[in-house]
Amino acid sequence: MSNAIERLRQQVVQDGNLQPLRVLCGSGALGNGIPRAALARGFQQKPHFVGCDMGSIDPGPYYLGTGKIGTSERVTRSDLEQVLLGCRSADIPLLIGTAGTAGSILHVEQVVKMVRDVAALHGLHFKLAWIHADIAASVVIEAIGEQSVRPLGHMPDLTADDVTNCRAVVGQMGVEPFQRALLEGADVVIAGRACDTAIFAAIPLMLGYPAATSLHLSKIIECSSLCCVPGGSDAILGTIEGETFVLESMNPDRIVTPMSAAAHSLYEESDPYIIHEPDGVVTLRNVRFEDIDGRRVRGSGAQWVPHTQHTIKIEGSAYEGERAILSAATADPNVIAHLSEILKAMERVVAETLAQTEVGEYRLWFRKYGIDGVVDWPHPPETPPREVFILGECVAESADTAKAVLTVVKQKMLHFGFPGRTTTAGNLAFPMTPPEMAIGPAYRFRVYHVMDVADSGALFPVFHEQI
Amino acid sequence: MKLTQVTRVLRSKNAGPSTTTLDLMFVDQAGYVLATTSPSLTPAHIAGLYRVPVDKVRVIHFPEALAIKVSLPRRVIAGSPGDRDVYGAQQHGPILGIEL
Repeated sequence: MSNAIERLRQQVVQDGNLQPLRVLCGSGALGNGIPRAALARGFQQKPHFVGCDMGSIDPGPYYLGTGKIGTSERVTRSDLEQVLLGCRSADIPLLIGTAGTAGSILHVEQVVKMVRDVAALHGLHFKLAWIHADIAASVVIEAIGEQSVRPLGHMPDLTADDVTNCRAVVGQMGVEPFQRALLEGADVVIAGRACDTAIFAAIPLMLGYPAATSLHLSKIIECSSLCCVPGGSDAILGTIEGETFVLESMNPDRIVTPMSAAAHSLYEESDPYIIHEPDGVVTLRNVRFEDIDGRRVRGSGAQWVPHTQHTIKIEGSAYEGERAILSAATADPNVIAHLSEILKAMERVVAETLAQTEVGEYRLWFRKYGIDGVVDWPHPPETPPREVFILGECVAESADTAKAVLTVVKQKMLHFGFPGRTTTAGNLAFPMTPPEMAIGPAYRFRVYHVMDVADSGALFPVFHEQI
Repeated sequence: MKLTQVTRVLRSKNAGPSTTTLDLMFVDQAGYVLATTSPSLTPAHIAGLYRVPVDKVRVIHFPEALAIKVSLPRRVIAGSPGDRDVYGAQQHGPILGIEL
């Protein structure tokens, strides 16, 4: 029996020419509920392979720190079932990137287990591969020593201390580990942390489609139908035709326009003209989008500039302590007017109260919703709000301490006396009791950097299993 | 003219955990031109609204989509204790009041 990728090559290479390649993005966030109708319509277009993105750094450091999946297990399992059944029935490759929200070994293992379960339930048989993306601390520390690690965005320089404090460090793999898995015979690939583009560009590039076209298409479709009007999470079909590609949402109510396709390159990027890849950049200065029929668009004009030095983005999440939160609110104008000083006083009162006990270190924050809960505004609001919700957050070395701090705050603040107070029976409304609760560990990204690497093969090992 | 009168999309989002980006997409060419030439959408003015160093603020004009992209440093790394907005999707408030 030939490899899936070899069968694909025989289909699309005819008389030495590459035929149009149909790439289906089943989901830009697998596990959140794939819209079924559009996915089914996508499979009807006879895609050559299906890719799904399953994670991101956006949900924060908790998932990488704990190894937990951010999506509901029930919905995730159901989404996996849909794409697996579709791909196995059509006998086409399925590539999933950034498995289980953050793409560490723990996440990959959980997703692989779900895939095995779904396969067993439906009697599916295929070659499964999975790829780890965890980078050993020693590798990163050695790279720091060789001055081959640089900050991304506005991160500070990386230190060995940052790295050793991380519960996990992952690297974003490019296309090479996916291609290796496919060359070794995989039908289904579950990858750890991966570049979103790599999921969709790995196969076009190994079949010989142009790099700029393949990567630009991948960058747009990795968010499924977000590039449409109206944007949504329905499956999207990208077809590579020579040096151009065609975008078509699999939901007939979503259309791609030249403007909406161009605007997508703004999304979550600090520079809309450049796509950074491990082995080069795609520049979008000369990109053109043309309307085809009022709902499909043809894109072209991206340029590929390869780099001689291979680099990967690395991400690491460090444990900060145990977290508790407090929910409280007020509808009293005097409390609202004095809220900042009341909260300042609470910091002092809680410190004094807990000094009498064996409490450890803690850090305390208050967000005043209605005033500054969402944005760190430069000025207070012009008119005070009618109600304010107060969210207290405490991070401490133990859950007991974090909760104790907020339990003290709750009661002391309820009965705190301040000038002009009329609410002498209580300053706060609690939506429920207990209003304070321990919610688990807190983390912080201490690694979000780029690292020069010689060989991605050693960093991203591929494992196989016949299902 | 208020910025909100000439834009059809005003949004914010993380571009990585240490950067906030603001996307301003305009209704038409006239609004886009007005905004790209306005002193209210310079790095200096935006740095003041977000209390970040001016040399860390970038304003990129993107005529293909009649859009302006602004990127600026986050004061708290996304999702760290004390953060207010993990995804950064509600950080566009300070620019809503801009007069062009």
